[in-house]
Amino acid sequence: MNTSPPRSLVAELTYRCPLGCLYCSNPLDFAKRRAELSTGDWSRIFAQAAALGVLQLHLTGGEPLLRDDLTELTAAARACDLYINLITSGVGLTEARLDAFRAAGLDHVQLSLQDGDEAGADYVAGAGVHRRKLAVARMIARMKIPLTLNFVVHRLNLDRVGAMIDLAAELGARRVELASVQFHGWALLNRAHLMPTPEQNDRAEAIARGAAERMRGLMQVVFVRNDYLAGRPKPCMGGWGRGTIVIDPAGYAMPCQAAASIAGLEFPNVRTATLGEIWRDSSVFNAFRGYDWMKEPCRTCPERERDFGGCRCQAFALAGDAAAADPACEFSPHHRTVISARTELSERINPVYRTARSSRDIVHRNNSPGG
Amino acid sequence: MARRRMNSDAPDGGWRPRLAAGVRLRVDPADGRERLLFPEAALELNETAAAIVRLCDGRRSLAEIVGELTGRYGTTGAIARETAEFLGAMRERRLVE
Ligand code: SF4
Ligand code: SF4
Repeated sequence: MNTSPPRSLVAELTYRCPLGCLYCSNPLDFAKRRAELSTGDWSRIFAQAAALGVLQLHLTGGEPLLRDDLTELTAAARACDLYINLITSGVGLTEARLDAFRAAGLDHVQLSLQDGDEAGADYVAGAGVHRRKLAVARMIARMKIPLTLNFVVHRLNLDRVGAMIDLAAELGARRVELASVQFHGWALLNRAHLMPTPEQNDRAEAIARGAAERMRGLMQVVFVRNDYLAGRPKPCMGGWGRGTIVIDPAGYAMPCQAAASIAGLEFPNVRTATLGEIWRDSSVFNAFRGYDWMKEPCRTCPERERDFGGCRCQAFALAGDAAAADPACEFSPHHRTVISARTELSERINPVYRTARSSRDIVHRNNSPGG
Repeated sequence: MARRRMNSDAPDGGWRPRLAAGVRLRVDPADGRERLLFPEAALELNETAAAIVRLCDGRRSLAEIVGELTGRYGTTGAIARETAEFLGAMRERRLVE
């Protein structure tokens, strides 16, 4: 198959993180994935990526600030002219470090906040960090580094999108993203707690639309609706293997950040293959490219060129088949699993924070016979 | 309020546009085309758009930019209107300021 070049690279530098967000999309078994690529490995990957056509690099994790070599990595990426976006919780970011990143060529920071309200934010993060994060946001703005604020929104905080938008404006963000929770990883585990109601979603969307209009030219306000409520799936990643390569901390290459959740895929590793080989020839990147892998109803659906049949990880998680239509689609025979998730009851289960301890417990449970 | 009104109005000739912080113009080695890079996208620019953006250095005024482009591409009123429209839209997206 003739493939167009990848345009963006998502580098998950580490799975270590001081936060424990209920909505985290990292793999549930991250605690057993402790291996991390070296500075040299990443530098080689950045050069290969740029040569392959990648223009943009997103440094993420886990918490990328926990890499001691983040300045060197930034410099290595800038040396091959990549546009560099740092995606961070901000916890642990100092003025001296940010200054070093900027000198090394950092272009932009995307900072996550968990809520517009301190108690709500700290509850979702499982740590008392909101106040520190606000101080970091102010520092970034003061240093005139372009800033996007990202709020993952869900049932517990959707009623406060107005406060989030005001906060973002006050903090001097150029853009605020109100991104509905996507049910992968820990978020799927906590779905009964996070699933928004349709009314809540509609109200929040209207507020965001009003603010976008009001703040035109000052701050971009973007609301991303929950796909469980939309009736149609998202064009996940702009299509599998069409524009993005994700590399996990140990060097496994994936077409999206949740792809490791699909059982049976043998992910190629950047230690044993070049990025070009991985992009063009690996079975994983070719598995859901184009349209030939599709089944009905997607195979003959006119929407397939727009949404690519939705998210493969969600199809696997909810329909048990990664080649099925995304059950978020109203035409999927499994759509009822999405409908019934809207009325799941959270009262009987406790939320699970994304901690190394719960990760180890989950691994242990899955490995024990009968468990 | 005043600032908001200024931003949503059509740009005036005295404005000296420049790329906003965090926005970069670069040639895409894959096809030789110029692209505007910012976190959400790599926006492909046609030749005219790239020529406009290259002149947005914070020193030239909009009127001067239009003057230069008119000298280069010939004399039509369309250049003034299209340049102002394009840069106004870019300003709304906070790509130029
Ligand atoms: S979502 Fe929260 S817990 Fe997960 S990596 Fe990001 S900051 Fe850490
Ligand atoms: S049937 Fe498949 S291609 Fe059609 S809208 Fe649903 S997910 Fe998209």
